[in-house]
Amino acid sequence: MIKIEEISKEFKEGIRSKKIKALDDLSLEVHKGEVFGFLGPNGAGKSTAIKILVNLIRPDKGKAFIMDRDVNDTGVRKHIGYLPENPYFYDYLTAEELLWFGGKTTGLSSLTIKQRADELFQKVNLQGARKRQLRTYSKGMVQRAGLALSLIHDPDVAILDEPMSGLDPLGRKMVGDIILELKARGKTVFFSSHILTDIERFCDRVGIIVAGRLRLVDRLDNLLIGENRLEDTFLREVEKAGGGMET
Amino acid sequence: MIALWPLAVITFREGVRNRALYGITLLALLLFIANFLISGMFMQEIGKVAVDIALSAVSLSGLLLVLFVGINLMAKDLDKKTIYMVLSRPISRFQYIVGKFLGMALLIVVTMIFLSMCAMLSIEIIKLAYPNYFQRFSWPMIFLALSFSTLTMLLLSALAFLFASFTSTSFITLVLTVIAYIIGQSLSDVKALVEAPQSVGIQVSSVTVKLVQIAYYLFPNLSLFDIKTQAAHGIFLTTSYVFWVVSYGLAYITLSITCAALIFQRREFP
Repeated sequence: MIKIEEISKEFKEGIRSKKIKALDDLSLEVHKGEVFGFLGPNGAGKSTAIKILVNLIRPDKGKAFIMDRDVNDTGVRKHIGYLPENPYFYDYLTAEELLWFGGKTTGLSSLTIKQRADELFQKVNLQGARKRQLRTYSKGMVQRAGLALSLIHDPDVAILDEPMSGLDPLGRKMVGDIILELKARGKTVFFSSHILTDIERFCDRVGIIVAGRLRLVDRLDNLLIGENRLEDTFLREVEKAGGGMET
Repeated sequence: MIALWPLAVITFREGVRNRALYGITLLALLLFIANFLISGMFMQEIGKVAVDIALSAVSLSGLLLVLFVGINLMAKDLDKKTIYMVLSRPISRFQYIVGKFLGMALLIVVTMIFLSMCAMLSIEIIKLAYPNYFQRFSWPMIFLALSFSTLTMLLLSALAFLFASFTSTSFITLVLTVIAYIIGQSLSDVKALVEAPQSVGIQVSSVTVKLVQIAYYLFPNLSLFDIKTQAAHGIFLTTSYVFWVVSYGLAYITLSITCAALIFQRREFP
């Protein structure tokens, strides 16, 4: 469903254009109907990999595919729902207008948009605030509106970058329930997080990325054998990689 | 192409609800009210002064709209990363530029229509108060001047999009757009001056002449669209002039937006 083939990406920083390696030869495959947790410390390259999948940035080397189509293909994004990390939307639009935009750009009819919006606002608990401008929303409410936007067109693949960030326990439970529901409906979910308990609760498989390199990919149940906790595996991999970010 | 309309609609809505737009409209309304007072202070040519002030107020408001609302509409997408929500939909970078410009164009046209109606109302009231001073007055020329002013704002907005496609901050876009506006307004006169320096008794090097000539063909000649004087004096323009100026404006807009879209296609949004 999602295939990343030997992707590398460098960014230039500062006046001297110092090169920072964000991703180094990353290869990864996520299967249909799977919930894949992409785990890593801050600056590990999780968001960079995700932005390559939604074509916001382009790799220096390698290719990425979703549903066997190159991510450069604009049409593939009809099947993708993307929630950016700390999403920010147009201040003066209402949540309802935001979902209208999301629905229209994916070719939904006005009636379908209305039905889906009713359902999603209920799920993300924004029913009462749907007609309010987004500038009046709290951080958590914006996050929930973003989640509704990412799912308005009922995508086959949900790519969620830190979906729990900025949410209270109720909000986190709500996101968890949505992820589990997507899984039950055979959708593929690729989400990044550094909250290990979230990964443990929802994921079938886990990938640990440190300093731009994928250090480990395995089924979650293989990583939780006996006394083993995901945290131990994670800390071990970070330590092996030299502590986190490359400089 | 399915994505262009929704993008244009949300761009328009975001722009039309921006408080800066209300400030600009209020300023224009105050200028139209001031028109009654200022025109009344002149004891001659009241008609020409009234038309000139009303048209200038519309031009100034249009300029402020492009500089402070228009540039912000696109720059905010890049600064605040709202572009993620747009480009993660099935929208190409090319479509993004075109859709965004359509929304901005819609905002400019709607605002300019409103301001033009207010300007015409202020002229009409002064005309009723001082009918003797409106002997050579022509509504079609006023309408044409307002339409040209709208075209100027669309052109300037297209240039702002072009600058925003390769600059990193909205401030640089703003500065470049202001520079382009000033150059565009004065280039025609500067070219005439450097090509015939002897008429004012100055010497100009051949390099300067070449540079001015290059700039003349690179930057839009905005003075072509400025027909406030003709409108104030009721001087009619030929149909061919109107046709060529409109064609020039539309061609420049198309070229700017195409270049902006081509440059934007290469951009990344880390």
